[in-house]
Amino acid sequence: MAETADRDEELRRQLLTIVAEEGLVESREVGLDERLDEMGIQSADFVMILMAIEEKFGVYVPVDERLTEAKTVGDLLEVVCRHIEDHRAKVPS
Amino acid sequence: MKPVAITGLGAVSACGFGAESLWRAARDGVSAVRDVSFPRLQRQQVKQAARIADADFETLLPRAKPRFQDRTTILAVEAAREAVAQAGLGADDFGERCGVVVGSGLGGADTIERGYIRFLEEPSARSDVMAIPKLMTSSAASWIAMDFKATGPTYCISTACSSASQSIGMAADLIRAGIVDRCIAGGAESLLYDIMFAAWESLHVMTTTRCRPFSRDRNGMVLGEGAGIVVLESMEAARARGATVLAELVGYASTSDANDLLRPDPVGATACVRKTIESAGIDPKRIGYCNAHGTGTIANDQTETQALREVFGSAFDGLLVSSTKPIHGHALGAGGALEFIVTVNALREQIAPPTIDFLGVDPKLGFEPVPNVARAFSADAALSNSFAFGGINAALLVTLPGRG
Repeated sequence: MAETADRDEELRRQLLTIVAEEGLVESREVGLDERLDEMGIQSADFVMILMAIEEKFGVYVPVDERLTEAKTVGDLLEVVCRHIEDHRAKVPS
Repeated sequence: MKPVAITGLGAVSACGFGAESLWRAARDGVSAVRDVSFPRLQRQQVKQAARIADADFETLLPRAKPRFQDRTTILAVEAAREAVAQAGLGADDFGERCGVVVGSGLGGADTIERGYIRFLEEPSARSDVMAIPKLMTSSAASWIAMDFKATGPTYCISTACSSASQSIGMAADLIRAGIVDRCIAGGAESLLYDIMFAAWESLHVMTTTRCRPFSRDRNGMVLGEGAGIVVLESMEAARARGATVLAELVGYASTSDANDLLRPDPVGATACVRKTIESAGIDPKRIGYCNAHGTGTIANDQTETQALREVFGSAFDGLLVSSTKPIHGHALGAGGALEFIVTVNALREQIAPPTIDFLGVDPKLGFEPVPNVARAFSADAALSNSFAFGGINAALLVTLPGRG
């Protein structure tokens, strides 16, 4: 259990870094409750974030309803984590 | 607006060659989407598209000029010949009273890619000396003008997924302005090649499962390729030569969101559909069918539903809407023309083609497009929408002959 929690924590940390880097905001400013629109993250930044996630984790995240509905950084991470977990379940590392 | 006669239709797509093949596939819900493989991509995530099979494309080569023409142009010229043949135009019907307005999003993508790959693999090799005239976006328009000796104004409109709809609309404007008597108009696109496909993948708007416009659980679009070309004429010019009028183009408008490069804005889409219907001066209740832009992305389908609901008001419930993109793919710069051709045929046969792979109503949209099987209707007007990246919207409205 502890190992899974550590892995989740590590995954979330990596994703936060990606959101900050690709969204061109300082990583220390990115909190889970932060609203994406208030951070100035626009459609083009979203695409950058998805591409970076694909490069790092090998998972293709289409812009589906869950993603479209994401309002905060936490929402975004939740959707992406689920895709990554589904992907890992299908393609064991 | 003064009606313009539609006298010829021509289409080349993964559904086959000929406007009739396209229409039959759309009406019967037979998808041309197949597995596609791009060997140069180390990580191909999306594995399907409505691509014209190489063996089929090769049958066009004996009547094309592949050394001088990109695949986009070859498809466009083929579609134009079909449209012109159906219109029954003779040598005297071209000249300076005939214009050409043929758009494309990217132009000669195949030529561009081959050039880059060749240069990177063998920098000292001679490049394709015809690369520039083949890849320029206006190449298809020029080749069509040359093919028929149409010496009137020739334009190429490159506005992504609205290229073809704007081209048809602008051709009608040229005719109504009295600048020409007739126009060969439409769009062509062929970009299903390694580098371009990877670029599309990186936008994350394509589905890895099925394209299901307006459906619950939809998650993206599927690409296609092809060319759609129509012949438009002033009613007087068509009558003077005794041409058969297939339908009349009675409304056209275009608006710009001027807002976001990728995310569509319902305000712009609503204004476009409203102005199109207003330009025709007809009651929205007369419109029985709408061939939606319906890409199958969350954003487009939400925006488009909102726009249609707002413009049609209480008439929205009686309007049959479908997206035929899961059948012929999203053909981008050709899309508006292929869908215009489907719309004209739908109107003529009074059959609304289906939105295939529809699973059920998306509660956020709260409406059902014609699901999975075609449905008959009784009306004398139909609408075709195109909403492009860059926020450029265009819509075309047609009626049965004599009903404009």
